[in-house]
Amino acid sequence: MKYRPDESTLISYLYGELDAKESEKVQLYLQANHDELVKMKQLMGVQEIMSNIEDKEVIAPPVFMDEAPRARMVWLNGPIKTIIGIAASFLLLLVAAKLLGTEISYSQSELKISFGGTKTEQPVQQLQALSPEQVQLMINSSLAKNNETIADSFAENQKELDKAIKNSLALNSSKIDGLMKNASQASQEQVRSFVSNLQSENVKTMREYIQLSSSEQSKYMEGLLVDFTKYLNEQRKQDLQLVQSKISTMEQNTDQFKQETEQILATIISSGSNEVKKQSSFE
Amino acid sequence: MAGTLLDIAMMHSDTLIARAREGDKSAQGKLVQLWYKRIYNFGYKFFFDHDLAMEVAQKTFISMHRNLAALQDVARFKSWLYTIAVNYCREELRKRKGVRSVSLHDLRPGESEDSYRWEESGSRHENPEKQLRQSELSDLLQQCLMELSEEQREVVIMKEYEGLKFREIAEALNISENTVKSRMYYGLDGLKKILEKKKITKETIGYEI
Repeated sequence: MKYRPDESTLISYLYGELDAKESEKVQLYLQANHDELVKMKQLMGVQEIMSNIEDKEVIAPPVFMDEAPRARMVWLNGPIKTIIGIAASFLLLLVAAKLLGTEISYSQSELKISFGGTKTEQPVQQLQALSPEQVQLMINSSLAKNNETIADSFAENQKELDKAIKNSLALNSSKIDGLMKNASQASQEQVRSFVSNLQSENVKTMREYIQLSSSEQSKYMEGLLVDFTKYLNEQRKQDLQLVQSKISTMEQNTDQFKQETEQILATIISSGSNEVKKQSSFE
Repeated sequence: MAGTLLDIAMMHSDTLIARAREGDKSAQGKLVQLWYKRIYNFGYKFFFDHDLAMEVAQKTFISMHRNLAALQDVARFKSWLYTIAVNYCREELRKRKGVRSVSLHDLRPGESEDSYRWEESGSRHENPEKQLRQSELSDLLQQCLMELSEEQREVVIMKEYEGLKFREIAEALNISENTVKSRMYYGLDGLKKILEKKKITKETIGYEI
């Protein structure tokens, strides 16, 4: 049967922790199996590379040794410690409840938790039942009383109001009289000054108007005359141009007529000489 | 040299652990001094975060102080300590799910000369340029490590960087040895693929450094 070492054996061989006999067997196996040998060499290479991780230098801290560990108190053990803790919390709650005056009671399916003592509620006295007539009478009497008080207060208010109106009227009339007097005096003076102002302003405006109108009229007339002379000049120019153009057309017509006549005469003369020549040649 | 001495001290700390288990405060203090760097670096590689690594380291040693008396077998101290550390790492991871935060310590990562971490870096006397490149490479590879699943990552860190045996890892994680080896195998295989994806090879690293 062929020998094949497992991974554990191979790693033991790698670290030299195999006995001599086993080590020799592995060595022979590796010599026979090139691939395994290569793999082992690779693992050795990894070891070699990884050996480059350095140890860090560290200084051990000073050691202060305590006495031999003391026996722990029984109540400091886990479960007892928890129970004591719960009991202490409960006791604390009870003390707090006592100080706050907490009272818890259960009666008639009601759980009541109260702080600071119980409050005694005073019973409300029940009124005796009243008949509808009595109630009506009470309402009527109270309404009558109410009406009386309203009427009294209304009368008093009326009187006070009348007094106040009279007073205010008297005050107002006196003030208005004074104001009217002042106003009448002031208005006479104002009217006079107003009329005088008005007159002077009217005179001024009339003067200015007359001055303005005369100057404007003269300007207008001058302008009109100038415009008329311009118009006449223009008209004359146009007439002259028209006459000149007519004369030039007449001249052109006469020239043309002259030329036509000359041509006609020339043609007549030339035709006459030809006929004479023809007759002479026939002859 | 100092690191080697520390390792030797860690290897032969059985009597120290026995004394610490009996309540010797000085022995407990020395244990913290011996293992603090390892647990911090385990947390740092797991989270790639200084604050969380500090948190995990502190919680681990507080828990160690409280429960050391209950440790039955002194020989199992290492795996026992890593069990505590892994449990706190997982707890922090659960808390962190859905919460995004940036450590102030890592705002300027690396241990370059202008960094406040320069003074605390052990190799500050080396060539500064080489130191800077080494620091950048370390962070880059750490990012590759962070791409592994939580289960694979814790196994790879414990084996590759903390030097635990497979048996010790199995004890620390409370799983079978075969499961640890299987996770380690697939973890390395996963890292190979991640490195290939990021084009990180021995040659490029050699060029970088």
